[in-house]
Amino acid sequence: MMKSLNSLTGAIWPRFHRKAEEHLNPYYTFQDYKQTWGMTIFILMMTALLPLIVMTLIYYQLIETSINTESLLRTERTASNARRAVTFFLEERLAALTFTVNEMNYDQLTNPGHLSEVLRNLKLGFGGLTDLSVIADTGTQVTYAGPFNLEGKDYSNQPWFMECQQHNACVSEIFSGYRDVPHIVVAVKSIRQDGRFFVLRATLETERLIQALSSYKTGEHADIFLVNRNGLIQTPSQFYEGESHHMNIPLPDYSDRTRAVMSTDRNGQPILIGYAFIDTKIAPTSFILMVVKQKAGMMKVWLDLRSQINWFFGISALIIAVVITLTSTVMVNKIFQADRQKAQTMVAAEQNCQLASIGQLAAGVAHEINNPLALINETAGYVKDLFTIKQQYKEDPDLVEHIDAIIDAVARCGTITRQLLGFSRRFDVQTQPIDLQDMVSDVINFHKKEAEYRNIAIHVDIPESIPLIETDRGKLQQIILNLVNNAFQAIDNGCFLDVRAQMDGPEQVRLSIQDNGCGISEDHLNKIFEPFFTTKKEGQGTGLGLSITYGLVQKLHGNITVQSKTGQGTTFVVTLPVKIEKETQS
Amino acid sequence: MKVMLVDDEQKFAQMLAKRLALRGIQADVYFSGEKALESVQQGNRFDVAVLDVKMPGIGGIELKRSLQALDEQMKFAFLTGHGSKMDYEAGSHEAENYLPKPLQIDVLIETLNRLVGGPPGASDIDG
Repeated sequence: MMKSLNSLTGAIWPRFHRKAEEHLNPYYTFQDYKQTWGMTIFILMMTALLPLIVMTLIYYQLIETSINTESLLRTERTASNARRAVTFFLEERLAALTFTVNEMNYDQLTNPGHLSEVLRNLKLGFGGLTDLSVIADTGTQVTYAGPFNLEGKDYSNQPWFMECQQHNACVSEIFSGYRDVPHIVVAVKSIRQDGRFFVLRATLETERLIQALSSYKTGEHADIFLVNRNGLIQTPSQFYEGESHHMNIPLPDYSDRTRAVMSTDRNGQPILIGYAFIDTKIAPTSFILMVVKQKAGMMKVWLDLRSQINWFFGISALIIAVVITLTSTVMVNKIFQADRQKAQTMVAAEQNCQLASIGQLAAGVAHEINNPLALINETAGYVKDLFTIKQQYKEDPDLVEHIDAIIDAVARCGTITRQLLGFSRRFDVQTQPIDLQDMVSDVINFHKKEAEYRNIAIHVDIPESIPLIETDRGKLQQIILNLVNNAFQAIDNGCFLDVRAQMDGPEQVRLSIQDNGCGISEDHLNKIFEPFFTTKKEGQGTGLGLSITYGLVQKLHGNITVQSKTGQGTTFVVTLPVKIEKETQS
Repeated sequence: MKVMLVDDEQKFAQMLAKRLALRGIQADVYFSGEKALESVQQGNRFDVAVLDVKMPGIGGIELKRSLQALDEQMKFAFLTGHGSKMDYEAGSHEAENYLPKPLQIDVLIETLNRLVGGPPGASDIDG
């Protein structure tokens, strides 16, 4: 239970969010884990979500465009069909009247009995006719057949009568007129035998027209109606009738064919308008057919789909975000923990190696001290022998010489002890001015005897011009000692070892340690600074020497590189700053 | 008993020779392996060779092999500064003849007597 709680806390608030240990920093893979974490999440999110967002937007655009096109097309089709129906309704009746005036003369038509029969026949044939009348060229109604008694009425001022005089036929707007019932007047003009004209007029019920229009209405958001060219409503509109029976949407531009356009209603809602200016073959009309559909209604299917897509997108994005965040957090935390563990091992190994090298040093020193001690021992033993075995040497002046030998030997011990003390060091970086020449010769001194036995030539070339270096004595000594040790292990008897120093710009010193030993193969070259990498047999090398050297060089803000060729030798180059910045001291 | 003493630490070797002489043992001192080898090649004969393991040029172990080739009868003892790997190897080959520096004169005398199989000479003189 506790473990799973800890791992959950680790995933949400991982270790690297807390302050990392400063002293482990040189061994970490990344400098700033929080930044690495943030960058990882950002890059992964971008890679995963950007294509998804772009694809969704393109999809939206495509669907919307195609739905708009399709809606316009459908509206236009509806308007076109309705136009044909209205045109046909009017043309049919106009044609019937034209036929009547051509078939019968003025006298026949002015016979009331005859006119009534014509009305009855027309009603039977077409329906939708209320009454029929003949009007003389003065505008006076001469004969009337129908339910109202309108005989003698004067129509000379009626717009449809005036229009009929100009053209041969006319269709009126829908109006209430004398009888106070909405109706349309259709009329055709004909010439009498005496050359005067007369008009045959019929009144049409609007009921049939309205019914015909309604049949084209599809969906509850659609409206279909007629207006005149001033925008006055002619047949009832469900949604768009405004003040004083005028349409409350803008009147469309004139077009001789059916069209569909996008617009907005008075509330700013998008609408589709399909319209047609209606003209019959026989007479012009002032009707405009309007098919108006609310876009929202037509888009409902798309909006539902879009809402589903939005949900899908939202949930996918959320899942992706959570998975990426958790994965990145866990991975970065794993790297951080592995680094931390590695760094701790390195620090521990560094300390171990420092202790080990102190032990090695002590052993070397003990060996060196033993020779003078052996001499002291023998000389003192000889003096004792003289006193115990040969009594006659009691006051021999030769004794003084032997005592001198003892003093000399003790002095030699003193020198070695001082060198040993020179190697005692602290673990923190403590800067002090150091003469590189002195330090290198100190280190070489420890190998002098071995070099003599193994016939190894050591050349040291450190010019006087190298300034005092402000750095850590112990660590620099360790670096040089490790590299010289390494070279001694790599070379055979009779080889050489070169230690050189030169300035690398005014701020840096370059120390190179070159041997002509066995060299390092290319495969191994890039691994030699890795901890626990060794080419020696098991038990003979820890594989930590060079990796610790690397860590020490880093601590001194320097840089170490290696060049090597198998069989030709190896050169290590250590570049160190002449002065370490103060704030880096621990 | 005639002893050959080889050590590059000259004063030490001379002093040791003097102390052996006081105990009635003649020891010829050589300061390098080359000189010692040359002496035997010229016909000088020794019962025992006491050799320092670490010397510039020919070391003690190598010198032993060369001397043995010249004189099969010769016996060997080694002196060592105690501490280097090479010294321990020398010790493991002939552990009984391995004498660490600084050495005790009585142990050396005892070793020499054991090697030549004669009576302990030092005890004669010390009485």
